[in-house]
Amino acid sequence: MIRAVRTSVPTTRRAFASRRLLSSSVPRFSADQHGHLPTTQSPITPHLEFFNSVAGEGKTIPTYRVIDGAGNPLEGARVPELDEALARKMYEEMTKLPILDNILYNVQRQGKIAFYMTCYGEEATIIGSAAALAPDDEVLGQYREMGVLLWRGFSYDSVMNQCFGTHEDIATKGKQMPVHFGSRELHFHTISSPLATQIPQAAGVGYALKRDPLRRGKNCAVVYFGEGAASEGDFHAGMLLASTIPSPTLFICRNNGFAISTPASEQYHGDGIASRGPGYGVHTIRVDGNDILAVYNAVREARRRCIEEGRAVLVEAMTYRVGHHSTSDDSFAYRPRQEVENRKRLDNPLARFRMFLEARGWWSAEEEDAFKARVKGEVMQALKRAEELPKPPVEEMFNDVYAGEEPWNIKEQKEELKRLLKKYGSAYEPWRTELRKHKGEGKEFV
Amino acid sequence: MATRAAISRIAPALLHVRAAPSSVARRAALARGYASQSEHTMTVREALNSALEEEMLRDERVFVIGEEVARYNGAYKVTKGLLDKFGEKRVVDTPITEMGFAGLSIGAAFSGLRPVCEFMTFNFSMQAIDQIVNSAGKTLYMSGGTLTCPIVFRGPNGAAAGVAAQHSQDYSAWYGSIPGLKVVSPWSAEDCKGLLKAAIRDPNPVVFLENEMMYGVSFPVSPEVLSDNFLLPIGKAKVEREGSDVTIVAHSKMVTHSLEAADELAKEGIKAEVINLRSIRPLDIETIKKSVKKTNRLVTVEGGFPAFGVGSEICAQIVESEAFDYLDAPVERVTGADVPTPYATNLEALAFPDSPLIAKVARRALYRSN
Repeated sequence: MIRAVRTSVPTTRRAFASRRLLSSSVPRFSADQHGHLPTTQSPITPHLEFFNSVAGEGKTIPTYRVIDGAGNPLEGARVPELDEALARKMYEEMTKLPILDNILYNVQRQGKIAFYMTCYGEEATIIGSAAALAPDDEVLGQYREMGVLLWRGFSYDSVMNQCFGTHEDIATKGKQMPVHFGSRELHFHTISSPLATQIPQAAGVGYALKRDPLRRGKNCAVVYFGEGAASEGDFHAGMLLASTIPSPTLFICRNNGFAISTPASEQYHGDGIASRGPGYGVHTIRVDGNDILAVYNAVREARRRCIEEGRAVLVEAMTYRVGHHSTSDDSFAYRPRQEVENRKRLDNPLARFRMFLEARGWWSAEEEDAFKARVKGEVMQALKRAEELPKPPVEEMFNDVYAGEEPWNIKEQKEELKRLLKKYGSAYEPWRTELRKHKGEGKEFV
Repeated sequence: MATRAAISRIAPALLHVRAAPSSVARRAALARGYASQSEHTMTVREALNSALEEEMLRDERVFVIGEEVARYNGAYKVTKGLLDKFGEKRVVDTPITEMGFAGLSIGAAFSGLRPVCEFMTFNFSMQAIDQIVNSAGKTLYMSGGTLTCPIVFRGPNGAAAGVAAQHSQDYSAWYGSIPGLKVVSPWSAEDCKGLLKAAIRDPNPVVFLENEMMYGVSFPVSPEVLSDNFLLPIGKAKVEREGSDVTIVAHSKMVTHSLEAADELAKEGIKAEVINLRSIRPLDIETIKKSVKKTNRLVTVEGGFPAFGVGSEICAQIVESEAFDYLDAPVERVTGADVPTPYATNLEALAFPDSPLIAKVARRALYRSN
């Protein structure tokens, strides 16, 4: 019944059409009168033509690039004005990612953590965009954006504490899977596992920013997602809402070619994710996601438009997921190993930017080796520390189900556990051993 | 037992189709059952509208969002006049995408605003259920307490009239099973005013289940209810009518039918105690236990499906508690029929409990009928 209200327009149109048919003579209207349709400025044409491209008949949306595979600027490309310090920081943060990924991937394989997701191959997209944002822009990631947090100062200890669910994991207090980071301080929303739910939420974060006089015109909401997630209804809903209830929301699609095993060619039949932007009236650009300078330029400009106009902007970064989807996946079951090796060799985002830096004398092989060794050492140290740290207090199980006063069902469960711990906590060996793993050994209950 | 219950669910409804009390009579009965010294009356719709208006005046962060809520004043006119009073910034019409505007509202709540997100009916909230359950309900916990989600999802819930299965469903049990959500199912104008205001002020996501059939029903209200600061605690039931012979627990529109049934039973000398649940989660089991210890008999009434429902939960909690020892008869659930709601008027009437059925089951609890 309720939905029926929405169909009232076609009904009216039908009624109007039949009235015209009843008319005995054909009325003549001037072209002016029929020049426009009531709800659109669409020009009238006598030609029966279909179209299936937003870039012009038969054309594909171009990809913006600044440096080529050898790190040399393209003719006519504007190289961003990076000083040595910023350029080095960008490269260093990129370099950290595969080191962390290698270590944590293997840690997962050893069974020490339940899950992990690498971002091999997408380093330029993640760090290039992170560098182009203000440190207090609100980020809603999908799960492969640890680099944004590292860029903002998230420590290796924080990474390890979250992945191991230690009592020092302030991001999720041992309640979220590995790589589902979050940090209020660093303006990074806790990752949510169901894909794409963060997209309409980002439109809401953007809406709140626009309503905040202290942040309006200063910050935007930034949402990351893969091309696979863009098939979810939430993507379309998020784009639509950020556009119709205008808000400074920056959409960054990491088109890495695969949604687990499904190649992008089976994810969509149209011209990628970028083609959807104009459908929602959103400024859009496609960028070479393996060219950090192109990503940096595109996201900076996208952010400027987003904030100045208070409207959504879409960036589609074309990259390639060199790693497996997650530790639950072996991608060589659905793509040849050689293809991956070729991509790594031919279009390595790290190598491209390194050549750019070396050409300017800003980086060297010696620095590369020293930096990698230092990072590896620091990461291993954080890992060993997290392995030893106790898990959150037992009581943490019941905290933050609700804000404010605890309802009786939470209190009752706590009481139940308290009763059991009093009875068996020290008397029964398996419980004793288990309790020792927790900060406070469950004593907060006894 | 199961067969007996299933048949009893249908038989009295047949009688009822022919002998339905007029709505005027029903309201009169209500006013009697719902004693008040005040001559003020208020419809449920007015109660909801004034709760929204008062909370929007009180707190700049509160805003209303949903389909048709602004210019159209809401599909059921609950948000009437709010656009004129508060402007487009705080009364926001959205495109037709439940997952979209629910998601946007949740994002805004994470950022410190206090959205009141209207679903045209809760049937359509299914298109946003992941946002409600997995994001609104769980993020505080999963973010280690860093992201709170103070949001109200509201709209009509349960069976309406003549709108068939996809518009006639009770979501109390669905949302009631999720830790992290609070779920409210108000009945009267007093309930709606006090609980909606409390829901808006609550720091948690609250699913606020209204009933379309109740919007136009007037209730007498005390001057206290009219005050700007009238709040009712979420998680507390109300004994609408005291009695000593049998406890009838109901929520939403079924409270009306339960009070009618209690009137009917009173004529036979049976004193039924009627409890208006008000909240589904947290469930006020203490009030029910206290009543059961007094009456020794329990009947639950709801418009939802029987399986895994609110009545099932109450029944389980009672038999697991010390109140079990006080029971002198089996607990019986009076519920909607276990079929998708049919459209045809006569079949639809068969699908939901009414007062004769409730009275019959109450008598059975007292071994006064089969």
